[in-house]
Amino acid sequence: MVEKVRTVTDVCCPFCGTLCDDLEIDIDLKTDQVVEVRNGCQIGTKKFYASNPSEHRFEKPLIKKNGELTEVSWEEAIDKAADILVKAQRPLLYGFSSTECEAQSRGVELAELLNAILDNTASVCHGPSLLAIQDVGASLATLGEIKNRADTVIFWGSNPVHAHPRHLSRYSDFIRGYFRTDGRNDRYIIVVDPRYTHTAQIADKYIKVKPNEDYELIQSIRAVLRGTDLDVKEVAGVPIEDIKELVERLKSANFGVLFFGMGLTQSLAHHRNIETAIRLVTELNDYNKFILIPMRGHYNVAGANQVFAWNTGYAYSIDFSRGYPRYNPGEFSSVQLLMRDEVDASLVVASDPGSNFPAGAVKNLFKHPLIAIEPHKTPTSAFADVVLPAAIAGIECEGTAYRMDKVPLRLRKVKEAPGESLSDKEILERIIEKVKGKLGE
Amino acid sequence: MDEIKLKIKKNLKFPLEADSITPDNFAGKTIAAIKKLPVYYATKKMTIGDFFDVSGKSTEVGNTKIIMEGDLSNVKRIGEKMTGGEIEINSDVGMHVGNNMSGGKIVVNGNADDWAGAMLQGGELEITGDAGHYVGSAYRGFWQGMKDGVIKVKGRVGIESMLWAKSSKPANKWPTLYCGSADAFLGIHNHGGTIVVEGDVDRCTGADQAWGNIVVKGKVSRLLPSYKKVGEVKEVQLPNGEVIKGKFIEYSGDHTIKKETAGRLYVAA
Repeated sequence: MVEKVRTVTDVCCPFCGTLCDDLEIDIDLKTDQVVEVRNGCQIGTKKFYASNPSEHRFEKPLIKKNGELTEVSWEEAIDKAADILVKAQRPLLYGFSSTECEAQSRGVELAELLNAILDNTASVCHGPSLLAIQDVGASLATLGEIKNRADTVIFWGSNPVHAHPRHLSRYSDFIRGYFRTDGRNDRYIIVVDPRYTHTAQIADKYIKVKPNEDYELIQSIRAVLRGTDLDVKEVAGVPIEDIKELVERLKSANFGVLFFGMGLTQSLAHHRNIETAIRLVTELNDYNKFILIPMRGHYNVAGANQVFAWNTGYAYSIDFSRGYPRYNPGEFSSVQLLMRDEVDASLVVASDPGSNFPAGAVKNLFKHPLIAIEPHKTPTSAFADVVLPAAIAGIECEGTAYRMDKVPLRLRKVKEAPGESLSDKEILERIIEKVKGKLGE
Repeated sequence: MDEIKLKIKKNLKFPLEADSITPDNFAGKTIAAIKKLPVYYATKKMTIGDFFDVSGKSTEVGNTKIIMEGDLSNVKRIGEKMTGGEIEINSDVGMHVGNNMSGGKIVVNGNADDWAGAMLQGGELEITGDAGHYVGSAYRGFWQGMKDGVIKVKGRVGIESMLWAKSSKPANKWPTLYCGSADAFLGIHNHGGTIVVEGDVDRCTGADQAWGNIVVKGKVSRLLPSYKKVGEVKEVQLPNGEVIKGKFIEYSGDHTIKKETAGRLYVAA
């Protein structure tokens, strides 16, 4: 029988921060298209199918001429992009979280060359976690350690059933580990959330917290842990007896872990929520082993933070305008800069701020020249002046990505990119060359 | 006092970073030399003369007063690290005004943007309007913020004002903030700072306060559950010697830090 497909095994899934590394992809030999994805969750599987040629994919570089995106050569598109960046007085380079580390480091190089502002999507998701970690440190571990040891697992403001579908079965809930031989039965799962989510429905204990009162709840848990008798009867809708019971449960754990998501980082109090959560975890280490892990969204947002930090000293919201990196979220973070209209040209790499930034910021983003390095049609690319078609990292080109616990994994290439698409890394390298030429370096 | 007048002559599209505008940098310099001091606009290094009309004269630091006119709402870092003299700003002012200053006085006749008086080491900063977030705060990653000096804000201060304030009894340093009203997380991580609020404050006042005094003459919108009522007092004695009269409920906290704490929050009864 003649083989019709080839199978690529041990593929990393470039979707969420769980970065599952056991996918099997079948590629049709004749058409070089993805025909079957095994082991992946629904979202990850969809991303592999979405890499196949379709009306949603860009296959050639485009430049906006007379209000229409028109196909041009790579040479012309790169020249136009470099022109925009060199002429700008305060350019912004944003995105980077859904591409591989080599491309991210080229982004840093370009930002330094242009004295630009460099930011990644952490500034609208787990940036508060980074701020908190900077203030009070953090006790971390790898997901493998959690799989083998954790007996008490808290999900706070996080709904992995939908956002990180395989997290529960690979690391934190159902999986059997070295010391947790009975899997789910060996673990006590606590979910804290204002809503009774699908994760809450499979938990042993669900704590309903009032929206935006997480900070008060964690503070009172910490006070009770210190042995203080509080004046109040309930905090954030949780009776004080429940808090005392929870504290006893946490103290008696062997190895506890707190996973937290956007519900904690992006509700009111932001980084202060994380800071007090970290301190709670630190204080629990007086009784047992307790750690925490941010549930990172984009598969390589942790990598973006790593790459930016080892190159510039800072993980996000970096300003090169004085020739050296400076950092101050709120002053140099993309949303605030755009809201104040302090940016006069933007380069967006593998991200879609057009559909998730506040309206005021998006309006100012679209007002000025915009370059999008992007495989698919998105609201951002629809308003771009230059669209540079990218190969999807982890599917159509190799690279490195960091899992949510900061373990680097190698991404595989399973198929060729359609049309004239190039990898993010190569596109950025070509822009850097062109910019150097225009700056006379 | 010798006066130097600076009048801005351009509309700014981008923020102008003017950390060279301090009495220390101007003292003893001619007008021509002052005009040559660097400022940073977008990605370019330019000079004070490019943006300001400069007039007047100066001799020594303590005797120099800088008076600034025109729309300065996008000018950052005025008075950074100043050690003496005076600055009078007759406009709204941009971020970081008076950050790291250790002496002298800045008066802002208008509103100030975020980080006003951040990491203040001494001196006095007065703002007649509202101030932005992080007034008198520590910069990111610092565990000791405002260590001495006084900030007076007539209007409202933004979130996380007086973050990581740190007093010193042996050195007789008592960082103090007076304000009209305040947003959330006022005096978070307070280590001995004094805060007096004329009006109301938002949630989480004095979160993680280790020691120090916060006096609120209005209401607290959501008192932290980790604070405990101690009793009622008729006056509050502040460590800088000042006495505030009036009926206050005394709370101790934040009990997340210690079971017994020297941190105090006084709220009008």
